[in-house]
Amino acid sequence: MGSIRRENLVKLIAFIGILSLLIVVLLRVQDMLVTQVLAFVIFYSLNPLVNRLERSGISRTWAIIIPFVVTGFCLWLVIYLISPMISSQIKTLSTEYNSYIDILSQQLSRIDDRIKDLTLGAFEMNASEKIAQYLSDGAKVFFTALPNFASSIFTITLLAPFFAFFMLKDGRNFVRKLLALVPNNIFELSLNLLHQLNTQLGDFIRARFLEALIVGAIVWAGLEIKDVKYAVILGVFAGITSLIPYIGPVIGAVPAFLVAFFTDHTNSFLFVYITVVYVFAQVVDMLFIVPLLVAKIVDLHPISVVVAIIIGSQLMGVLGMIIAIPVASALKVISQAIFTHLIEFKS
Amino acid sequence: MNFLWDNFFRKDQKERTLYTILKENYLFQDLSEKDIRFVSDVIHVRNYRPGEVVFSQGEVGVGMYIIIKGSIDITMTELAESAHRAGGVYITRLSPGDFFGEIALVEENSRRSANAVAHNEVQLVGFYKSDLVEILQRNPTAGFQVVSRLAEVLGRRLRETTEKVSELRRQVMEIKGHSKLSEKK
Repeated sequence: MGSIRRENLVKLIAFIGILSLLIVVLLRVQDMLVTQVLAFVIFYSLNPLVNRLERSGISRTWAIIIPFVVTGFCLWLVIYLISPMISSQIKTLSTEYNSYIDILSQQLSRIDDRIKDLTLGAFEMNASEKIAQYLSDGAKVFFTALPNFASSIFTITLLAPFFAFFMLKDGRNFVRKLLALVPNNIFELSLNLLHQLNTQLGDFIRARFLEALIVGAIVWAGLEIKDVKYAVILGVFAGITSLIPYIGPVIGAVPAFLVAFFTDHTNSFLFVYITVVYVFAQVVDMLFIVPLLVAKIVDLHPISVVVAIIIGSQLMGVLGMIIAIPVASALKVISQAIFTHLIEFKS
Repeated sequence: MNFLWDNFFRKDQKERTLYTILKENYLFQDLSEKDIRFVSDVIHVRNYRPGEVVFSQGEVGVGMYIIIKGSIDITMTELAESAHRAGGVYITRLSPGDFFGEIALVEENSRRSANAVAHNEVQLVGFYKSDLVEILQRNPTAGFQVVSRLAEVLGRRLRETTEKVSELRRQVMEIKGHSKLSEKK
């Protein structure tokens, strides 16, 4: 009995060691975590389709290649059609950025003067100068960091589909080989836990992906109708920020109001219209998307959301803020599954 | 440290034995060669030392086992308690080709009804719920054939149990009849 315990202990240590090594690689290698998160999104989005194709008699490899080629072509087509729009919108934004700062400075100068008049010169803010300086410094930092950011995005978008392809093709074998190291006394428990996690994470990631896609599309279409500038970029941004619960929709709407303010700040109808578009997107999300996928989306407490965003921003900056909530939600799913499983399994 | 790498470096030998064992097993008899190869990529091969517990009575089970080599002792703790014996009452010894724990494949939160302990060096094929789900998702024809055979096995075990219960009831009635007769005398 002593030798069985020793063997089980060695196997457990080897298993935990390999898992720890994978986690260290994931956290320490630059862009690896984001690449893996994106690879998982691709994996879980395509897996049902790959299984369906495999069911029709096609080999697993072809069942993976076909959706990859079709999705790749569709993405290329979308990028080909949209990229001129996005690049012209970015070009416009970069040329008009200084004029926007001027508009903001003028507005703030007026406020400054009003405050000065009201306080009879006792209080002087000079907010316009400070904010104009801050925005100009911010733009410099942004454009300095842009090449590095673009290179990271390029690496991630190349590597993530590559990882996803092999996760679809050999992921199961890899997991089986890893599970071969799990000691016999906890094997059934580990296997069942893994199955639960796989199912729940798959549902969660597919639901979130669909939610972001629908919200982004509604915002884009809504803004495009009224010819709001940068509608595509604003739609993409709203879709991505909708992944952040509670504060995500607000963050997603802020740039649209800024655009309206800079382009036509006297048109109050535009502000009302933008509010309607964003509220409509949230209503559709809350009334249709969430109830349909409610069991698949994990809600986090507002405090957990704020804490997760702070940790994310501290660890990985803006990118960390975006992936903080999906990662925190995934961790919640994992811990809930482990807790429930341990109670049910051994009771 | 060999036990760590058993599952990695004995592939050819393992696959040959695995294919034969699966092909001869009642659950997988209807499957084609291609489907057997598919199933052998899904299931798990596990090695047990003499005296090592495969599962314990009362635990939640998630799958069944087929014996490749060695033998498994099935014991029951409840019977042992009523008989004031420690370690469980011996029920039967299963040998290569036999399978056990199949109820766990179809029942939700199924509790193991007995203990399974390795009698000697044992190699088992573990076939679990998640494996069955994967077969049904990726190859429904093979999945249907396995589930049909599984239903057949469970039906047959149910019929055998019913017959045994009837037999026991008949014996109890006979004993009662005898005791009444002896009371009258």
